[in-house]
Amino acid sequence: MNIKRSNKILVVVGLLLLVGTVWYFLMRQEDKIDFNTQVKPIFNKQCISCHGGVRQKAGFSLLFRNEALAPTESGKPAIIPGNASSSELIKRITANDPDERMPYKHEPLSKEEIKILRKWINQGAEWGDHWAYVSVKETPVPDDVEEDWNKNAIDNFVLQQLKENEFAHSPQADKKTLLRRASLDLIGIPPSENLAQQFLNDKSDKAYENLIDSLLANKHFGEKWTSMWLDLARYADTKGYEHDATRKIWRYRDWLIKAFNKDQPYDQFLTEQLAGDLMPDADEDKFIATAFHRNSMCNDEGGTDPEEFRTASVIDRVNTTFEALMGTTFACVQCHAHPYDPFKHDEYYKFMAFFNNARDENTEFDYPLLRHFSDSANEKLDELVSWLKTNAGEKRTKELTQFIKTWQPSYNSVVFDEFVNSELGDGRRVMLRNKSISRLKNVELTNRDHFIFRYDAFVNNGKLEIHLDRPDGPLLSSIKLDKGKPGLKITSNDFVSPQGVHDLFFIYSTTSPLKQKDDDCAMLEWIHFTQKFPAEGKPGYADMKKRFWDLLQLQMPTTPVMMDNPADMFRPTNVFERGNWLVKGDEVNADVPKSLNPFPNAAPRNRLGMAMWLTAKENPLTARTMVNRVWEQLFGMGLAETLEDMGTQGIAPVHKDLLDWLSWRFMHENKWSMKKLIKDIMMSATYMQQSNVNELLIEKDPTNKFYARGPRVRLSAEQIRDQSLAVSGLLSDKMFGEPVMPWQPKGIWLSPWNYEDWKISKGEDQYRRAIYTFWKRTAAYPSMLSFDGVAREACQARRIRTNTPLQALVTLNDSVYLEAANYFAIQLLKKHKEANVEAILKEAYATAMLHQADEKSLAALKNLYQTAFINYTNNKEEREKLLANNEIKKPEAAALTVVVNAIFNLDEFVTKN
Amino acid sequence: MKDHSKIINESLEEKNRFFTRRHFLKEASFGFGGLALANLLGGCNFNDTTTSNNILFDPANPLLPRSPMFAGKAKSVIYLHMAGAPSQLELFDYKPELMKMDGQDCPQSLLEGKKFAFIRGVPKMLGPQANFQQRGESGAWISDYLPHLATIADEISFLKAVTTDQFNHAPAQLLMHTGSPRLGRPSMGSWVTYGLGTENQNLPGYVVLTSGGRNPDSGKSVWGSGFLPSVYQGVQCRSEGDPVLFLNDPDGINRDLRKASINTINEINQQQYKEFKDPEILSRIAQYEMAYKMQISVPGVMNIADEPQYIHDMYGTKPGKESFANNVLLARKLVEKGVRFVQLFDWGWDAHGTDANLAIDIGHINKCRSVDKAMTALILDLKQRGLLDDVLVVWGGEFGRTPMQENRAGKAVPFKGRDHHTEAFTIWMAGGGIKKGGSYGETDEIGYSSISGKTNAFDIQATILNQLGFNHEKFTYQFQGRPFRLTDVSGRVITEILA
Repeated sequence: MNIKRSNKILVVVGLLLLVGTVWYFLMRQEDKIDFNTQVKPIFNKQCISCHGGVRQKAGFSLLFRNEALAPTESGKPAIIPGNASSSELIKRITANDPDERMPYKHEPLSKEEIKILRKWINQGAEWGDHWAYVSVKETPVPDDVEEDWNKNAIDNFVLQQLKENEFAHSPQADKKTLLRRASLDLIGIPPSENLAQQFLNDKSDKAYENLIDSLLANKHFGEKWTSMWLDLARYADTKGYEHDATRKIWRYRDWLIKAFNKDQPYDQFLTEQLAGDLMPDADEDKFIATAFHRNSMCNDEGGTDPEEFRTASVIDRVNTTFEALMGTTFACVQCHAHPYDPFKHDEYYKFMAFFNNARDENTEFDYPLLRHFSDSANEKLDELVSWLKTNAGEKRTKELTQFIKTWQPSYNSVVFDEFVNSELGDGRRVMLRNKSISRLKNVELTNRDHFIFRYDAFVNNGKLEIHLDRPDGPLLSSIKLDKGKPGLKITSNDFVSPQGVHDLFFIYSTTSPLKQKDDDCAMLEWIHFTQKFPAEGKPGYADMKKRFWDLLQLQMPTTPVMMDNPADMFRPTNVFERGNWLVKGDEVNADVPKSLNPFPNAAPRNRLGMAMWLTAKENPLTARTMVNRVWEQLFGMGLAETLEDMGTQGIAPVHKDLLDWLSWRFMHENKWSMKKLIKDIMMSATYMQQSNVNELLIEKDPTNKFYARGPRVRLSAEQIRDQSLAVSGLLSDKMFGEPVMPWQPKGIWLSPWNYEDWKISKGEDQYRRAIYTFWKRTAAYPSMLSFDGVAREACQARRIRTNTPLQALVTLNDSVYLEAANYFAIQLLKKHKEANVEAILKEAYATAMLHQADEKSLAALKNLYQTAFINYTNNKEEREKLLANNEIKKPEAAALTVVVNAIFNLDEFVTKN
Repeated sequence: MKDHSKIINESLEEKNRFFTRRHFLKEASFGFGGLALANLLGGCNFNDTTTSNNILFDPANPLLPRSPMFAGKAKSVIYLHMAGAPSQLELFDYKPELMKMDGQDCPQSLLEGKKFAFIRGVPKMLGPQANFQQRGESGAWISDYLPHLATIADEISFLKAVTTDQFNHAPAQLLMHTGSPRLGRPSMGSWVTYGLGTENQNLPGYVVLTSGGRNPDSGKSVWGSGFLPSVYQGVQCRSEGDPVLFLNDPDGINRDLRKASINTINEINQQQYKEFKDPEILSRIAQYEMAYKMQISVPGVMNIADEPQYIHDMYGTKPGKESFANNVLLARKLVEKGVRFVQLFDWGWDAHGTDANLAIDIGHINKCRSVDKAMTALILDLKQRGLLDDVLVVWGGEFGRTPMQENRAGKAVPFKGRDHHTEAFTIWMAGGGIKKGGSYGETDEIGYSSISGKTNAFDIQATILNQLGFNHEKFTYQFQGRPFRLTDVSGRVITEILA
């Protein structure tokens, strides 16, 4: 008895002690003020509008620790670490005199806020870095595991939060739901019948994993994930602005599909897109990858200043690189230091310097272009290359090969800067008139004795003279220009190298009679200064020289690519004062923001080095951004909801630890494999949950950020189209190639001065997957825009899903959807010769949803069928209109078309459950 | 049609409970940082430290009407844009001095350091080609190119010293309507419907009507929603094909059958809701209801044939063809039915003189004739219906035209023509709380430069927003890390022309 009693006392004392200790430690932990969660929000709310990046009143800024501790205008620092009471900051926020008290002319800080700041200064005024700007560390997996639900570590993280917030997870979704969910997520369309049967009949434990593996290996995987990337890459098939003319850059889209399909490691995937041209083993594919940053727009409108739009493209590349690849908003640093995130004004321009030496400069033909050779031309090129290697050395071989493949480096007509009686005409080419002078500045001619240029002439007997340094300066070269074959031509001439850098004056004259004295006589497109074709006198010289010329002049399909200026064409980069490109400040060198990981030691200071920095495992943003994006694709919302901004203004993730765990694993264990990352997530019990909700869940977690249920998300514009075509049997399996033009209403394309037409594609090209649809920036495919597709004028990190009546009109009335419904109806009727309505409707529904209709739904569909059937039996004219393109004109076909059209509009059909 | 009103009500209730779904507006915008950020920047206006309001809206019902920041004078806007840029020197900006210089070489002082779209070298001056008179009690100068408008001078306020910094069509149009010369920003109508929603859920809130055979130079982007949700983009209503894309039932599906099929869709969706309890399903049911109503309402509004003859006489409308006049009448019908923003573009005003259609004294007169009667009728018709106080009407182009004869690429052009001009042009506004018979701004004696009362696109945008009840400096949307405004970092409400 006594013993028992004392035991009880001991237990009580022990418990008290335990509680006390825990309490003590909790209090101690609470005692340490956390900069990020406690102090920074006060600064952001109360102080930073006057004492931050944009304004630094009284010489005081709270943006960086060194600034905050530095002497202010008064000569003294406002914060003295360890001593709150003598810190001016505390004096001022507690002052009684309204002229003294901060925030000036605003409500004073609350007692609680003052207490926090006081404590924080007394504790040493330590700064903290925002989580997303600190490199990813290995994160321990919470170990309070619930064995029978958890499938992988993701579930441990999720379960921990569910428990803390008093949620319960949902049961696993049934097999059919998982089948459709996984298939739409991985390949963007429902599974093939084979695959579906395989999975549904597979009774093993591995059935689901087998399904995921098959889908990951499916060739359509790349198409689905490319559609995500195209918004980031602001991919379009036109150049934008007024003329918005066609740009052939679709090989980049194909490159993406292939890269996703072969699971190219993400670091390499990015490196090739950012700097494939600069990689030591740069081949055709790597050049095509760089078209990523050639998706910026180009303005062809008359009177355009090419430098203005070149600059706009460079800025667009900086913003896209940060927003798409590093989930950070860098754009505001264009005008001033970032008000919240640790980026300084000049850091924007230092980063811009990585892109500022790209060769492209808003030329009409989008130079530089990679010229795609046919196999036979490539064979000839290979022979030439091996002859050059033997006879002219590695360096010259590389130079000449590059020139054949790209016509670079050349001076484009847009850089001519002074004109007498000539001008930059339409297409921004130099228009030469009789007795005209055009200037090209700063041309390096050391060791150069040959030039090649592309021109056209409209009259014969023209003469083009190039003078050095002055219009009447020494004659460098003189060349005769005749009309020749119609179209642009390439020619060349030799000269004696004058050595050094010179301004060149191009003087044109002609003896041909002109209608008017100021008629345009010729035009100049680009000019390249080089050395004479090498190895004169070596065996094969004449043949190979001719081959060089033949290959150079071949008309070839092209893709815009990134290439950098050679040293002698180097463009310095300056800060733009307050973001104005016309007001140039200090010159800067290429560098990365100091607050992120350091620039790798061995890396070159060019785009390749920048790509190495961006894909270094220490870069805090790159992996997190991609993990977050993949999560968003699967769950409808990122772990950090603001995909475009993980900075201090973004929405902080509930599952930051999970994001970090996945990011670490993505880089270190899975070696940047995107497929493994996707599989990790899809194999989790979290992903496999049912998506049903209840009142309580809706109340407590409307957006499902705790994952007490599976994802339930409306399909994307692309998925909605592809799914209808796939279910109906119309979808073409064809991959890759030129963009296609499926049916769209008349009168969508009406760009001024651009008479390109939407010509409906023939045959199966009408029924290709949505990513192959021709994308015109100023008049994009309307039904996809209705479903939140973006115009792709600039990088868009995520689409915002809306729900509007115009969407209903698309799937109800757009001919594409009606044709799919009609085609499907006819197939069903052909298959079911007996025309058992119930059986047909069951199959229609089950094919669309991958599960049987419940009785009520089936009854509703039967009702609709009956109504439609009676209508079409009585109304021959309507029947024939609806079935205009069918051989079967029976009322059954018309009625079934109406019912399938309704099925294609059901919530379940346009939603991933 | 079955009565789904219960479901719609339920959906609306859900919406109210569900207002937290504004999630794509950053939560932070309402917490600590957001207010401070808005404070700080308010679109980078550093002088304004009062707080800003982000608009809350529900993506499931994104166009429900909302209140402005303060009681505005206007409820809706009709914006008549003459794409290509009309000549202020032939219409409103009377310059007898310019006549004296007609045919003379342009003085060097007007050319030094200037850049034009097409003029090169030294062009000749071109005197006004129209006859001017002062009109009404206000004494506004309006030329005989616009005889109808001349009769209602006292209803209008003129801005005669509008300037821009863009001399190409596409960027200048974008600047005028989106506040940026580059693609990618939301257009004015998008901002307005984002801020105010729209009164009639059976019609689009932001309607675009085009005439002249081409889209404006800046394409559909000029009525795009930029970074705002795509639901706020302008909906182009067309006079050929479906009046709104995909509005008409397919050939062979009649109204009753469509009704039956929407009923079926909604019935099964209700089943779906019972199973999943996802409020998104309720919104979808409501959207299908609205789509059906829209199918009925839009063709009704878009059909002008039912208008009485005196209205046709007044506007000069001929039902069944694409014309500016028809579009103006449609605009009146649309605002009458509660549409928030009606944007018209009429193409073909680019009077360079390169052919007869583009000659200042030939084609340009015809363009004026094609709009004069209808836009005058619009003002009078709104007035007689008691709507003019509620509807703000704006008329203008993207820039002005030079006092010089164009000499394209240094060569004479065959007809009388003027190049693009950024330094002075005229825009007028009427109704919606604008002063009657007002005028603001002056140009120099040849109409080359604005010398007083200068205004620009941002001021016009600020004024339009002000009339609708918005402080343009506080009306922001968070994107790429900062709050964006229609008026970017400038803009001033032109109080001089407010009633």
